[in-house]
Amino acid sequence: MPLMKHFAAPAADDTSLDEGPDAWLAQLAAPEAAARRAAAHALGDWPEAVPVLLCALDVETEQAVRSALLAALGRIGNEEAAAGLAACLRREDAWLRNAAIEVLRGLPGQVAAVIAHLLVDWDRDVRILAVGILDTLRHPSVETWLLQLIEADGDVNVCGAALDVLAEVATDDARAPVTRLLERFDGEPYIAFAGKLVLGRLARSA
Amino acid sequence: MNEAVKHILIVDDAATVRMYHRAILEEAGYAVAEAANGVEALEKVEAAGYHLVVVDVNMPQLDGYGFLHALRGRPGPQVPAIMVSTEAEDNDRRLAFKAGANHYLVKPTRPEHLTRIVGLLLGERA
Amino acid sequence: MTEPTISADDFQRFREYFYRRSGIHFEPSKRYFVDKRLVERIRANGCTGFRDYFAMLRFQASGQEWQALVNEMTVNETYFMREDYQFECLVESILPELAARKRRGEPLRIWVMPSSSGEEAYTIAIFLLERWPELSDWDVEIVSSDIDTRILAQAQAGLYSQRAIQQLPASWLQKYFTREAGGWRICQMLRDAVAFTRVNLADPREVDAYRDYDVVFCRNLLIYFDDASRRQAAESFFDVLRPGGFICLGHSESMSRISSLFRIRKFPQAIVYQKPLEGL
Repeated sequence: MPLMKHFAAPAADDTSLDEGPDAWLAQLAAPEAAARRAAAHALGDWPEAVPVLLCALDVETEQAVRSALLAALGRIGNEEAAAGLAACLRREDAWLRNAAIEVLRGLPGQVAAVIAHLLVDWDRDVRILAVGILDTLRHPSVETWLLQLIEADGDVNVCGAALDVLAEVATDDARAPVTRLLERFDGEPYIAFAGKLVLGRLARSA
Repeated sequence: MNEAVKHILIVDDAATVRMYHRAILEEAGYAVAEAANGVEALEKVEAAGYHLVVVDVNMPQLDGYGFLHALRGRPGPQVPAIMVSTEAEDNDRRLAFKAGANHYLVKPTRPEHLTRIVGLLLGERA
Repeated sequence: MTEPTISADDFQRFREYFYRRSGIHFEPSKRYFVDKRLVERIRANGCTGFRDYFAMLRFQASGQEWQALVNEMTVNETYFMREDYQFECLVESILPELAARKRRGEPLRIWVMPSSSGEEAYTIAIFLLERWPELSDWDVEIVSSDIDTRILAQAQAGLYSQRAIQQLPASWLQKYFTREAGGWRICQMLRDAVAFTRVNLADPREVDAYRDYDVVFCRNLLIYFDDASRRQAAESFFDVLRPGGFICLGHSESMSRISSLFRIRKFPQAIVYQKPLEGL
C-alpha cells in the first residue's frame, strides 16, 4: 500500500531552554545560513540577545535569516527591540524598512516610547513611515498623535499619509484639526479629497 | 467612432490614494481596478488584461520597482505604466524609467496631470 | 434599543479595514451579508452603534473580537472536496513536478493542518488513489494535525454526516465509505493511511518536530491569527518544508501579504507558494 502512516512525533526538546543562549549566540555567526536561521529563531526566547540580533540584522544578506531575525525581535518585543527596529526606518533597504514597520505595528506599548521622535524626524520619509506604523497599531493614542502631527507638519505627503489613517480612526476630535488642515493646504486636490473623506465619514456615521 | 472602455489598474497601499485616483479616472470615463501591493497587482494582471497601470513606488511585499520589473518580464505586448512617488529628484525619475515606467508623477498627483498623461499613453490625445 | 444601522460610509470603512487585515474583499453586492453580521456583533458586544463597535475592534489588544468577527464573516464549515481545485492542482501539477525532481525511494510527505475532523486529509488521500497514476511508484506519508484533541479523535474515527460527504462523486463514496447508523464511515485502509497528531502551530518548539515535508496545506487558518502569529507560522512552514516544497492556503489568503520567504507559483488549477529550491 503506497499510502503509509509513519509519523512518530519526537518528544519536544526542552533542553535548549536550560542551556542558555550562549551556544545560539555563537551559532549566529556560523557560515551556513540554515544554522544562522535556526540560531535567530532560538534567540527569540532570550531578551538579552536583542543587541546581537540587531547587529546581525545590519550585516546579514540572506533573506531567510533576515526574516528569522525580525521574527525573533518581534517575539522578544521589548522596548530595546522596538528602538532598534525604529532605527531601521532610516535604512536604504526598502524590504527591511517595511518588514520593521510590520513588526512594530504588533508592539503598541513599546512603540509609544519611540513614536513621538519619529513623527517629528527631520527626514520627511521617516515621518511618512512612522505614520505607516500607526496604520494598524492598537494603541489608544493613535488619533492624538495623528492630530498633533497634522497641526504642525508642513509636508503635504506626511499630512496626506496621516489623513489616510484618520479615514479609519477619526473621532469628533478630528473635525477641527482636519478643517484647519484643509485651509492650510487650500488648492491641493489630494488633501481636499482626503480631508473631505475624513469629515464626511464623521458626519455620516452613527 | 466606437471606443471600448479602457481598463486601468491602480496600485497603492493607501486606500485613500486608491479612492482618489479611482475618482479621477472614473470621472474621465475609465474603468478602474485596484491592488494594494505589487504582488496583488501581478496576480490581477495575470487574471485580466489592463490598458494601463498606475503604480506607487513604496509598497510592502513588492514595491513599484519590483512590480514593474516583473511586469516587463512577462511575454506579450507591454502595458503602459505610470509610476507615482513622493520623490521629486531627477535620479528617482531616471530609476523609474530604467525599471520600465513610461511616465513618472510626483505625489500628490493633480487630477489634470493624471488624466492628461493617461490620455497621452493611451493614444487618445496628441 | 433601536436597531443599529450601517451606513454606506461605515460599510466602506469596514471593508477597507477587513481587507487589510484578512485579505478578504467584500464586493458591494455583499452589503446585506456584511451589515447583518455587523449588527449581530454590535449587539453581542453591547455597543451603541457601528462607530463604537469599530473603535473597539480596531483598538482591542486581545484580538478576541477579531476572531469572533472572522468566524462570522467566513464560511468555516469543513467537508470533503472543499476547494477541490487545489487537490486537482496537487495531482496534476505539484506532485508531477516533485516526482520529477525527487529520487525514487524518498518518501513524499504531505502535512495538512488544521486537521479539523479529517475531511481535508482524507480527501487528499482519495485524490492520490484515484487521480495520481504514479502513486504506486512512491511512498506517500500524510500527516494531519490540530490543536484540539477531541477533533483529532473524531478525525481518527472517521464517521461523517450527510452534509460532509455531499460533494463526493458517488463512485468515491461507494468505494471508500460504508453507511452506518450514525452516518458514513470512511474505510479502515484510509483511516490507517493518515497520521493524526496534536500540534500548536503558534508554538515554534512544537513545530520543530515537523521537517522535510514536500507539501503543506494550511487553508483558512491563518486568517484567524494576528499579524505576529501569522508571520511566525510562515517562518515555521518555511522550516517544515524541504527546498522546493509547496504550501497551499485558502482561496482568499495570500502568503505574499504575510511573508516574503515564498515564491508565487501559478499553475493552471491554482496559485500556490513554493520554498525556493536554492539556498536554505
